[in-house]
Amino acid sequence: MRRSILAVIVVVLAASCGGSDVDVSTVPELPTISSQELETLLAESAEPVVVNVWASWCVPCRSEAPLLDRAARQPGVRFVGLNVRDDQDGARGFIAEFFPDAPIEHYFDPSGDLPLDLGGTRGVPLTFFFAAGGELVNLHNGVIDERTLALQIDEIKAR
Amino acid sequence: MEFTLLGAVFVGVVPLYLVLYWEAKRGNAASCTRNLWDVALTALVVGVFVGRLAAMVADGVNPLTNPGDILIVRGGVATGPATAAALATVAWLGRSELWPVFDGLAAAALAGLAGWHAGCLVRSACLGAPSELPWAFAQAGSPITRHPVEIYAAVLLGISAAAIALWRSRGRLLPGLPAAAALICAATVRLVTEPLRPTLGAGPVWWYVAGIVVGAAVAVARLRYRTTTGAGNGDAHPANEAR
Repeated sequence: MRRSILAVIVVVLAASCGGSDVDVSTVPELPTISSQELETLLAESAEPVVVNVWASWCVPCRSEAPLLDRAARQPGVRFVGLNVRDDQDGARGFIAEFFPDAPIEHYFDPSGDLPLDLGGTRGVPLTFFFAAGGELVNLHNGVIDERTLALQIDEIKAR
Repeated sequence: MEFTLLGAVFVGVVPLYLVLYWEAKRGNAASCTRNLWDVALTALVVGVFVGRLAAMVADGVNPLTNPGDILIVRGGVATGPATAAALATVAWLGRSELWPVFDGLAAAALAGLAGWHAGCLVRSACLGAPSELPWAFAQAGSPITRHPVEIYAAVLLGISAAAIALWRSRGRLLPGLPAAAALICAATVRLVTEPLRPTLGAGPVWWYVAGIVVGAAVAVARLRYRTTTGAGNGDAHPANEAR
């Protein structure tokens, strides 16, 4: 009996861990961006840019989101999120849960073609690393880990 | 799907098995009736699971509402909780012969860690801080040469594993000392190589310091135990009487 009560307490405590209290309605709609607009954004950026391709239905994207949130708070690098093959409600819900106040500019690409135009694939998650001026330095397929992310940010900052 | 992490795990598990095999052949682990290979693998799985859960909770991801994320180990494993859970698992599984089990795993665990770090070659993740030393190298397409920090860690851990295995093969040791030495070696290697690793924050430096402190405390306690009982060379432990 005591063990059952303890187990219930642990489960309730665990269930209350994490998550965000941000209301989805406070998250604005994501602007749609074309391939040309994205390339202009990258070319005109004075800072190196990390472009992360994500979707709300993508479980691995959830797994790397807290890491990206932390990395985006570092100075000297700009973070762009590209939501692909998704809907606005799903995307906004994801932002409310995982990026409530992260300094990441999110854009909407329902067709999912933009990553191909940048030299990537249709898989998610994808992370592109661009030096200032728009030169593609590296592309990481799949979930990114902290060491790789830190190393690639260091690379694009040093270019 | 990317399976390079699995490749790195394989590179770590092979030397772990080989050292256990070598030590068993030489009779080093004779005082222990447990199957150390099973204990090591169970501790590894429990450690990774707990470390992953801890990393998720620390990042604000609820493991109950996002259970699938637990499997995505690449999303992060918290080093400290993972190590503590692995050690606790070994302690639980070997509770009837605690020190022989820990000592039997000491050299093998270091060899496994050395292999895991050397597995960076499979993952293309060996590089750290920029360096102009002759052996520094750059990632493909980059002009910036860097310390191969994971190779440093692999070499240092490999040397530590060999030293402890040889130490154990030279004769009877006070139970607990090889395990304490292994913990100190593992934590020290991680501590000294940490400044060369690329990281988004400070890194789990305090966990490494804690590892050194715990290892030193165990060593001191075991040495005091010998002094107070008057026994030496491990003869005070009943498990060593069979040796």
